[in-house]
Amino acid sequence: MTANASPASQAPAIPKRWSRYKHPESLYSYAGWLIAFSVVVFSIEYLNIPLDRLFGMFGRMGEVIAQRYYPADIDYIMDRDYLGYVIETIQMAYLGALFGLLITIPLAWFAAYNMTPSKLFVYPGARVFSMSCRAVHETIWAILFVSILGYGMLPGVLALTLFSAGFAAKLFAEEIEAIDMGQVEAMRATGANLFQVMVFGVFPQVRVAFTGIAIYTWDVAFRAATVVGFFGAGGMGWYLKRSVLQIETERVAAIILSIIVLVLISELLSAWARNTVMKMK
Amino acid sequence: MDNATGLHVMDMRTDEILARRTRRQRKTALVGVILLGLVIWSVDVTVVQDTDWERIGSLGEVMEAASQFAGIDFSLFPSLIGPTLETLLIACLGTAMGAVLCVPATWFGAMNITPFAPITYPIARLMMTLSRSVHEIVWALFFVAVFGLGAMAGVFAIAMRSIGFIAKLSAEAIEDIDPGPVEAMRATGANTFQVMLYAILPQVLPQVIGTVIFEWEINIRRSAVLGLVGAGGLGLVFFRQMNTFNFHGVTSVIIAILAIIFLGEAISHAIRRRMI
Amino acid sequence: MAVLEVRELRARYSARGPEILKGISFDVEGDDFFAIIGPSGAGKSTLIRCINRLVNPTSGSIVFNGHDVTKMSSKDLRMVRRDIGMIFQEFNLIDRMSVMDNVLAGRLGYTGNLRTLFRMFPRKDIDHALHLLDRVGLSDHVDKRADELSGGQRQRVGIARALMQDPKLMLLDEPTSALDPKISREIMALIKEMAQELNVPCLCNIHDVKLAMEFCNKMIGLQDGMTMFAGPTEQMNEAKLDEIYAMEVL
Repeated sequence: MTANASPASQAPAIPKRWSRYKHPESLYSYAGWLIAFSVVVFSIEYLNIPLDRLFGMFGRMGEVIAQRYYPADIDYIMDRDYLGYVIETIQMAYLGALFGLLITIPLAWFAAYNMTPSKLFVYPGARVFSMSCRAVHETIWAILFVSILGYGMLPGVLALTLFSAGFAAKLFAEEIEAIDMGQVEAMRATGANLFQVMVFGVFPQVRVAFTGIAIYTWDVAFRAATVVGFFGAGGMGWYLKRSVLQIETERVAAIILSIIVLVLISELLSAWARNTVMKMK
Repeated sequence: MDNATGLHVMDMRTDEILARRTRRQRKTALVGVILLGLVIWSVDVTVVQDTDWERIGSLGEVMEAASQFAGIDFSLFPSLIGPTLETLLIACLGTAMGAVLCVPATWFGAMNITPFAPITYPIARLMMTLSRSVHEIVWALFFVAVFGLGAMAGVFAIAMRSIGFIAKLSAEAIEDIDPGPVEAMRATGANTFQVMLYAILPQVLPQVIGTVIFEWEINIRRSAVLGLVGAGGLGLVFFRQMNTFNFHGVTSVIIAILAIIFLGEAISHAIRRRMI
Repeated sequence: MAVLEVRELRARYSARGPEILKGISFDVEGDDFFAIIGPSGAGKSTLIRCINRLVNPTSGSIVFNGHDVTKMSSKDLRMVRRDIGMIFQEFNLIDRMSVMDNVLAGRLGYTGNLRTLFRMFPRKDIDHALHLLDRVGLSDHVDKRADELSGGQRQRVGIARALMQDPKLMLLDEPTSALDPKISREIMALIKEMAQELNVPCLCNIHDVKLAMEFCNKMIGLQDGMTMFAGPTEQMNEAKLDEIYAMEVL
């Protein structure tokens, strides 16, 4: 019943055949799919993931949660000592974020291609430093600092500082790279020196963005702070480790719950703060 | 008489303005002092009191402790190849699994396509937040408890941790689509599935792929530490080197981690540039 | 018998919102090229979207080929929609798909989910699409991506997509508003030619009165959701036009 049968179609001879297969392009995309598929299959094989038992495992997951992690030992996290550790975690997170942000300001300046004092030496150096801070996971920083400085919150703060610096420097440098260079040029034209250009030409343009990044950094640092204690760097992570080692699963569940609640609160607060900042813009 | 009153009013006004300004300055100063006090208090509690300064000793001793890590244990590298590959594959498989698992969360979490907004939308938002607020180490601990030691727990931890981010950005992309093609597809008599496949998916696919690749890059970093709690990969080797005080070996592992992260960054950069 | 009978159609977007359509009635017959004219904001777009229920009317009836569209289940509605082709002002093509896939999308109502997933359309659909692309003058652009085309070409793809449905009725929502005058005329001529060739009546929502007078045989003039004129194009004159466009805010 297609319109091929319609009366007036002049010369219904189809000019050419059409096929979805286009010679080289289709072949490349098939090859791409094949590679992706092979990677998945190879991964499953190499990592010894038992596909046949996978669904049974989900049943087991429910069982484990129901039997071992439920009910969560809420009393345990209402304990005074624990609350003290929560406050320590918060302090660690915000000190780490604060120090990290202090490092970020010069670091991002050096690592922003348009503003860096020297494209040849300072720029790559700052890039590599911020990249390394970011690349090494916060828990590894924590372990390294613990091995040098011993247990306690100082290594935690230092680990979070490096982590926050790496995280914020990347975002902030991108922000600086996106500024309007016209204002910078105007400042340069007045004969301002490098520092003055930063203060009058660049800073006003990125102030709001920096505040947003700072709040975001706090958020991320707090999430990281909840676990650095697991490796001896202070805060509630230490409680988590103790409960895990003692196989007090109901306490573990309670601690995880408390982490979720705290992160939720911090996320809500930071979303609210960011909105407020954006409005003030 | 009148004049005098007027002057008096003027004075009052100036005083008022000055007073207001002083009050504002005082307020700012007060906030500043409180913030500074908080910082000093935190530094005091977390750094000054909590630290065992005896153990740390002098700066020289700290430098000495740190210098233990200066040096590379080259003999370790051959035995790092396996765990490095394992770490990479955990990241790949975990990201792929996260990308698949995030489909329902994305569907429910995009306001314009969610099936029944009052119920499904909050569910999706809760899933996203839950996934992102639990740290990967905690996810790994949980899955190690369920599946036992090994890479599988790592894959699941990575997948769970990825869902929130991918789903959140994908849902936002869907909320920003051009509704025109959706209307056009509905007008041809297409069903909901076909509308999603034809009108929505092509519009958001580049963004979703970009997000997944970005997340994959982050996941390499994450999967490198999951071994610390027994979920396979380089973290396990790191842990072992640390416990045997082979500090040069620790440096070797960190170099391996940096290498795959930079590799991942280069690959993701290349793919994203080609896509645009 | 009329293909489409619209009676006393009323519509509003929200329960408290203003009424957009205030009782519209008209018939579209077998070989009509029916224009809806009126100033912007008169409810033209809402009216045309009520016909295939992209917008749900609040009351009144729309009888298409003997079935009342307003009271249909969503499954029956899809069956009706695939019999009604639609061409849009902004073309509404899928930018990242090829011209061919865009035209084939017109067959979605006839295609199962699995075939849709793998884009495996039947041979005869593909042949039909090639034929239509040839007729609208795009046979050289079959494998290009839709966003590589110019405005006029994109609307030609839109026409092919609508015709791909084997429509019993075509809805044209300002098909030429996004195009320049010369291309507009070409596109209208093409639509009219194809409609006559395939015996499809058209309901066309059009802002440009000159084009409407030139191509359409019947028209209704809307103003603020009410009918100000209804009848053959010949009965239309300057005075009536002035009345319809009196409230046009420039």
